[in-house]
Amino acid sequence: MTNKSLFLKPDFIRTVSQNGVGRYITQLQRVVLKFCKNNGSSRGMRDFIESELVHFARENPGICVYLKPRRHRGPVIKAEYLNGDSQWVNCANFSNEEIIKWLNLLKSQQNDKTGIRYRKLWHTDTPSIQGPWTPYTFRDSNLNLVNFPDNALAQPFNVEETLTEQLAKALKK
Amino acid sequence: MSLCRQSALLLTKCIASQLNVTGQRNIKRWVAPTLRVIAKRREKIGPEPLKPRSTYLEWNYEAEIFAFGNRLGEKFDRSLLLRALTQREYANLKEIEAQKEGNVAVKNEHNHELIAEGFKIISDVIYNEYKNHYPEEIVNAVHKFLTTDEMLGLVGKHIGLSDIILTNEFPVETHTLSKTFKAVVAALKLSQDTQRAELFVKDILLCQMNGKDVYDIWNPERPFEYLTDLLKQKGISDIEPRLCNESAKNTILASYQVGLYNNKKLLGLGWGESIAIAKDTAAIDAIQRIYGNYMQK
Repeated sequence: MTNKSLFLKPDFIRTVSQNGVGRYITQLQRVVLKFCKNNGSSRGMRDFIESELVHFARENPGICVYLKPRRHRGPVIKAEYLNGDSQWVNCANFSNEEIIKWLNLLKSQQNDKTGIRYRKLWHTDTPSIQGPWTPYTFRDSNLNLVNFPDNALAQPFNVEETLTEQLAKALKK
Repeated sequence: MSLCRQSALLLTKCIASQLNVTGQRNIKRWVAPTLRVIAKRREKIGPEPLKPRSTYLEWNYEAEIFAFGNRLGEKFDRSLLLRALTQREYANLKEIEAQKEGNVAVKNEHNHELIAEGFKIISDVIYNEYKNHYPEEIVNAVHKFLTTDEMLGLVGKHIGLSDIILTNEFPVETHTLSKTFKAVVAALKLSQDTQRAELFVKDILLCQMNGKDVYDIWNPERPFEYLTDLLKQKGISDIEPRLCNESAKNTILASYQVGLYNNKKLLGLGWGESIAIAKDTAAIDAIQRIYGNYMQK
């Protein structure tokens, strides 16, 4: 995480309403292209409308496309998603190709993703398939037959021989 | 001194007029205070109330319902879809308004009948899908879970109903969304056929069970008694609960493991912070093991 993303809202990947399990529904429901008919910053938008818009609308019949010419205002794409989000993209001085790329991005998103930082690039509902750990998981089965209190088990595991014991052993030999 | 200043001003004016300088490069002094007052008034009025999307300038209802069908990949009959989207209250209001204007020809068409029909299709799909693999109680619980207003409303919202519903209320309530979803299913059946409508319900509604466990949705209230009854039907009467493990007794982290046995065969294993809870968990586990290989007779 860089300093730049400090103020981004952290989020996880999620799919709304199990989209794509049964059938995939494009979550972009309508898009409004706002532009000026004579300002230079809208030139790319006008190019797009002249050359590509009909193609885009035909390819995506599930998305409503509206055009909104306004005098002396910058070009804007306003995208509205099925979950109620709306995203606003300023397209000042964008070329025709840039607008196509932005529309493709909006089309493939499921909500407004601006100002969001993903904590992980993957998601799972079942992080563990073997279930939660209990004190009895992986327990030594020999313990089933022990009669407590057991003297051997009551000792610590790693008792090193003291020097006295070592000497006593050596002298015995 | 003042004479001096006046003459200087006059002089500069003369020069300016001579050089024909007209534009001013600074922002006028009145701009900032005016903007400040406008902002203050704006703040005083409060935020703008939410408006239905259909009141916007860029709104074309025909295009919207065309897009709705295409979004789902279904072909709807236009008039049927319109009927499915029209709420009864809305239709009544429209009729009264038309009568006031002296226009009697307006038909009062609404989705009231379609709702019941759609609900029947949805129920059938859920029952048919689940009854082969789960006993009746579980199927009923799943049916109840999938046909709550919240679930159907959520599904209805995510297929894009909220903006195109014809209703008097705003914002659209979950209950209305749920009703309309049912009506849309019925409209699909009438536009195409039952099979298509059933496939639609499977793809849109039934897939909500993805990643969910039916035993999170259904659980018997008293598991041990339920298990006893269940095993009695199978001819097993003696269930022997045994305390398999215990740890941290008499502390707040106490944990017990209980196993249910019949004739030295393990039926189910459960954990809990007390023996009674562990016994119930074990019973739930046993029930799940029994229903795991359930086949409809």
